[in-house]
Amino acid sequence: MTDTAGRLLQIRGMRADPIRRLLASARDASAFRGDELEGVTVANLFFEDSTRTRVSFTIAAQRLGAAVVDVSGKGSSVSKGESIADTARTIEAMGVGAMVVRCSQSGGAKGVADAVSCAVLNAGDGRHEHPTQALIDALTLSRALGREADFDLSGVRVAIVGDCAASRVARSNIACLTALGAEVVCCGPPGMAPTTLEGLGCGVSHDLDGLVGEVDAVMALRIQFERSSSIGSAREYRDRFGLTRERAARMRPGAWVMHPGPLNRGLEIDGEVGDGDRSLILRQVGAGPDVRAAALLSCVSACRQS
Amino acid sequence: MVRGGRVIDPASGLDDTRDVLIQDGRVAQIAPSLPVPAGARVIDAEGLLVTPGLIDPHVHLREPGAAHKETIESGSKAAAAGGFTTVCCMPNTTPALDSPEMLDAIRVRASEHASCRVFPVAAATRGRKGEALSEIELCARAGAVAFSDDGDVIASAGMMSRVLQAIEPTGLAFMQHCQEPTLTRGASMNAGEVSTRLGLIGWPSVAEEIIIERDIRLNSSIGARYHVQHLSSGGSVEIVRRARAGGQPVTAEASPHHLLLTDEACEGFNTLAKMNPPLRTDADIQAIRQGVADGVITILATDHAPHSADEKALPFEDAPFGIIGLETALPLYAEALVASGAIDWPRLIALLTIEPARLCNLDARGLGQLREGGPADLTLIDPDLAWTIGADDLRGMSTNTPFLGRQVRGRAVTTIVAGSVTHTTGSRAPVTA
Repeated sequence: MTDTAGRLLQIRGMRADPIRRLLASARDASAFRGDELEGVTVANLFFEDSTRTRVSFTIAAQRLGAAVVDVSGKGSSVSKGESIADTARTIEAMGVGAMVVRCSQSGGAKGVADAVSCAVLNAGDGRHEHPTQALIDALTLSRALGREADFDLSGVRVAIVGDCAASRVARSNIACLTALGAEVVCCGPPGMAPTTLEGLGCGVSHDLDGLVGEVDAVMALRIQFERSSSIGSAREYRDRFGLTRERAARMRPGAWVMHPGPLNRGLEIDGEVGDGDRSLILRQVGAGPDVRAAALLSCVSACRQS
Repeated sequence: MVRGGRVIDPASGLDDTRDVLIQDGRVAQIAPSLPVPAGARVIDAEGLLVTPGLIDPHVHLREPGAAHKETIESGSKAAAAGGFTTVCCMPNTTPALDSPEMLDAIRVRASEHASCRVFPVAAATRGRKGEALSEIELCARAGAVAFSDDGDVIASAGMMSRVLQAIEPTGLAFMQHCQEPTLTRGASMNAGEVSTRLGLIGWPSVAEEIIIERDIRLNSSIGARYHVQHLSSGGSVEIVRRARAGGQPVTAEASPHHLLLTDEACEGFNTLAKMNPPLRTDADIQAIRQGVADGVITILATDHAPHSADEKALPFEDAPFGIIGLETALPLYAEALVASGAIDWPRLIALLTIEPARLCNLDARGLGQLREGGPADLTLIDPDLAWTIGADDLRGMSTNTPFLGRQVRGRAVTTIVAGSVTHTTGSRAPVTA
């Protein structure tokens, strides 16, 4: 898990110090020379579709001088019945220094990590975690709030709105933001924001209107409506939990709008809110390569030392 | 001759030091200080419990169809090593045990290869699909000792009603795998804090409880013998308690893992703790133990469910449900129920002998009890033997148990089926006088 050298599988269980070290390294990314990972090959093992995360990791690896190979689920031996662990072992045997894993099963990244000895970074495993996304969000929010010197988010309140129960982004963000001192409230209909989430150390609300003026940032999650039966319709979701223009207007002065992307404009977020002055969305995307470069460097270095 | 042991026979109430003389596969005599006949093999049972052969009414032997996990031969060896002389195998094989021909095939295979008595439980519906009745009467005549679609619930209330009606005249029990399917879609572990942490879809206790409630209601006007398999929640115990207090013909079973482990065992995506029904909470464990102590739960069963290491190496959500249990069950029951003070050894032996014998109508064959003239199925137990469960102790083909490495106390040191020793460990091997 996270206590194993060279692995970034989940934020839960990580203490504030190592999180802050990663964030500081990403903040100071301009100091990367560009040859830190020269001679290292990074394999993107994407067993589930993704464009932005894969591209972001690719740019990060190239920025450090690493070579990158892409292995996708479709057209790979996984589609011929090979297990994810076997695919990982096979790729590692070809001389790979780090693996970036995206898969649809919770715990799938740990399954890869258990099978190989190289560095492993979880790029999203099922409903479990998406740790680099949470680091990206923490860095972006810290910068926007002027907390990037020490990444101490004490007193900051963040609402995560959407299908939090099924979201790996929510799970990683809850762990990351609370570790840095922030308060997190998950918001959505009861099927998407059940009170069991309180066990993760966050609050739960089913009333966005009551919450939206009380927080320093609202993070809207992408709604995959076809998967969810927790609410009657897209119309009803937008009515109750969409980050609409009207709701955004009621946010605190200086409060920020976030979204891990891609956006369903007009569903969980109005287009003009996503594009508006409060929006950190493009800054989140922009911080991706810095954070992932920092994470890759940290994991590969730790692996080399162990 | 088994000499000098503490003979516990719950059926007759015997609990005293006795010698047991066995001749031609039958118990010839049970008495204090019997003379040893010339040429007899003698097992010194001093310090041991001598009990009727243990019976497990719920195991998966995987034959036919999944011989890479287990076979009748290997699974029955595991049974013998755990002190069991009789097992009842579930019908979720490929193909399912849903016809007299399939039951006959099991009987023949068992007679040729088994190290214990094997009785089949027949599927209640064809192919275990829950759509059309099996040939219930013909299966009963062919040796089915109970009916179940185990592995799957009979989801349709209408079908369930017809199953109970068809089984009632046979006098056999119906064993339900209680899992409301629409509440457990995609679920792989107990709904709770751990599933929330791990991002796994949760399986709520109510999915079990509402099936029990429904079935008891359906059965109230039918009166078939209804048995709840491997109950996992305290709520289920209460439902069964109420039904039994109301005089309904309801029985229930508990499994070693549900008596000892919580969903915390799934931490780290540990597939060895992936179980159907899932491991739940400490409160559930305490309620199930209390149910055993109060006589609400009268059956213990391992739900021995072998899977290969490759299958259990899959990601948690893809890995199969199941834990093996035959070799490890006895000390785990002793830890959960006797050491905890819930019950004493004689009651534990009853739960492992005469009670399951009655459930599966095997008492009529003289099983689950020790009486002169009856079958010489005996288990010799050292209740104080401390050992650590290791892969080397497992005689079956699979090692999928979360109890590996656990230090336990109590072990079957000798198992005897129809007068033949099927398992012995330590220094209790028979000597010839």
